[in-house]
Amino acid sequence: MTHAVADHPVLDPTVAPPFPVAALPVLRNPQLRKNVAHAMDVIQAKRARLVEEKADWQALRSAGAAIRDHVLENLGAYLEQFEERCTAAGGVVHWAADAAGARRIVLEILRAEKAAEVIKIKSMTTAEIQLNPYLEAAGVGVFETDLAEIILQLGREEPSHIVVPALHVNRSQVREIFARSMGIRDLSDNPQALTAAARNYLRRKFLTVPTAISGANFLIAESGGVAVVESEGNGRMCLTLPRTMITVAGIEKVLPRYQDLEVMLQVLARSATGERMNPYTSLWTGVTPGDGPQRFHVILLDNGRSQILGRKTERQTLRCIRCAACMNACPVYRQTGGHAYGSVYPGPIGAILTPQLMQMHHAQSLPYASSLCGACYEVCPVKINIPEVLIELRAQVTDQERRQVRRFFDPMYLGMRMAGLLLSRAWLFHAAQRMGRLGLRFFTGKDGWIHSLPGMGAQWTQTRDLRGMPGETFHEWWTKHKKEAR
Amino acid sequence: MNAAASPRQQALERIRAATRNPAASVEPAGSYASLRRDYIGHGALPAESRIALMLERLREYDAEVTECPPEALPATIAAQLLASGRHAFVAPAGLPQEWLAPQFAWKVDRDLPAAEIEQAEGVVTTCFCAIADSGTIVLHHSASEGRRVLSLLPDWHLCILRASQVVETLPEYFSLCKQPPRLVTWISGPSATADIEMTRIKGVHGPRFLHVILVRDPVADPTSNLQPDQAR
Repeated sequence: MTHAVADHPVLDPTVAPPFPVAALPVLRNPQLRKNVAHAMDVIQAKRARLVEEKADWQALRSAGAAIRDHVLENLGAYLEQFEERCTAAGGVVHWAADAAGARRIVLEILRAEKAAEVIKIKSMTTAEIQLNPYLEAAGVGVFETDLAEIILQLGREEPSHIVVPALHVNRSQVREIFARSMGIRDLSDNPQALTAAARNYLRRKFLTVPTAISGANFLIAESGGVAVVESEGNGRMCLTLPRTMITVAGIEKVLPRYQDLEVMLQVLARSATGERMNPYTSLWTGVTPGDGPQRFHVILLDNGRSQILGRKTERQTLRCIRCAACMNACPVYRQTGGHAYGSVYPGPIGAILTPQLMQMHHAQSLPYASSLCGACYEVCPVKINIPEVLIELRAQVTDQERRQVRRFFDPMYLGMRMAGLLLSRAWLFHAAQRMGRLGLRFFTGKDGWIHSLPGMGAQWTQTRDLRGMPGETFHEWWTKHKKEAR
Repeated sequence: MNAAASPRQQALERIRAATRNPAASVEPAGSYASLRRDYIGHGALPAESRIALMLERLREYDAEVTECPPEALPATIAAQLLASGRHAFVAPAGLPQEWLAPQFAWKVDRDLPAAEIEQAEGVVTTCFCAIADSGTIVLHHSASEGRRVLSLLPDWHLCILRASQVVETLPEYFSLCKQPPRLVTWISGPSATADIEMTRIKGVHGPRFLHVILVRDPVADPTSNLQPDQAR
């Protein structure tokens, strides 16, 4: 396969190059790999310390998984309950089948509001539906307000992590981006100064832009409430100052009761940033006279989720609360960073979520972007067995590919068909063993090891030696000795 | 699937087909009650250690903490306002009048526009409760806790917390909520970010300074009147 390595990472799974190709730019950049590894080490160490001090961590994980499974099992009923309560509290609930539908609804609301600009709270769901480019093309000025998101937006960079999306950008790059786009001449590259620049840049926007867009961490069915978890206070600004609030939430985000947050909030921040609790969490219910936006819309987004819901092994993917612990723990993510995944959802969760959201039509290389070591499963606060889902998805990808005519001569599928043939007939298998022994004799050194093979075999011998075939198989040995024993 | 159906009906039909749960047979509350919750509900710390833990957490977050007996509260507030070096403050409409020391410029929030709140150098509020385990201050935005914007725009937030309001664990807080509150803000330290090279920076958009006055009112030990299995 020939794929040009793009200068700029592509996070649209429909056109992104396959994972092994997309991973090359980072693999060839030792400094960037060091940055990613450093960030992962910092978060991992903090998380480990806080999980250690939590005596009931495993019980919290089990309860988290149970609550999320219960929600998924009864999703229709809980969504209807959420809709009813949210509407009763003054919110307007919309349903979107796919990304295009959700984008259209957002734009219609903005048109009705005559909104020329919006401020945004960092949201994976709006990134998933690629809302910003769509709104910008429609003439709406979009202002991200999370520090990392500002860095990405102003620097025309792509996110590489779901919690710390700008971790691949270093301080001098941030300085350059801010100095250029905010027109500040003497800006130091001290993170404190850079953060202050962002604060000043956004303060006016918060106070003047009347429309905001957010995602949701949780929807509460019992009350119709929506919860957003954050660190900086930009979320609180967006949730408090504008006149109109639009929330885009995946249908799986619902929790039965307010009380269920006692589990989710205990595991989320610890898993995400290694804090006992994130600095700010906000919950609001519809509209409250005199406090915050007086018009509130929620868009419930399906976009492939109901398909995932209908599949036995894969359903657990929807338990995810987007903490990013899996990517922080992943040895593959650590080497490649987030851009290689060609999706706004990188890391192990991205490797299972992205191809499923694409209904297995795109991103088929992602289920292979894992060593199946299980570190992601171990840290997951809602116990998603990611390796299990990866294997299931690999099976689906294989089933897809082996039926494709253009893969008829693909060495892997050709080899597998050959193996199928040989392994199903004993005489053919024995013949193949004898042939193989003869053939490999040419490559076997005096020391009994094969040091180099031609063609595809070289992929093995480039990095390690292979034992030469023994003079006889166990089967042959046994046949001989059984006779002797008699 | 009916092509004329609304996106809502279509979505619910897809979800129902996926979960094979016809609407009539779904009884979420029933199976909800049987979900296993083996995590710690009530904490086991005696009152004094619980409060000490809360203070320790606040200090870890770089919040400033002052303690005072109940009768000294108005004087303590005035002293802290003075020590802050600030002069113009906002207060929620429900804050006791005797807390508004007359030597400062006060604006009481009766639908103050955001721009005016923005001009204030600080804000004084009460809170609903505090959770020691995570060092979290919970606002339900009652009349003395103020509207959400009030504790957001000023750079300095002075929060009055009574010792009797401190619970140990998050589940203890939730058991205090008979009804889900309409508006909630959980505050665990001042606004912060680690977005640039994982360096923790205090004060992005929310108040950069959080100051807590802990009022030493009498505290009952909530774990003492619980069943032993709850109090593990």
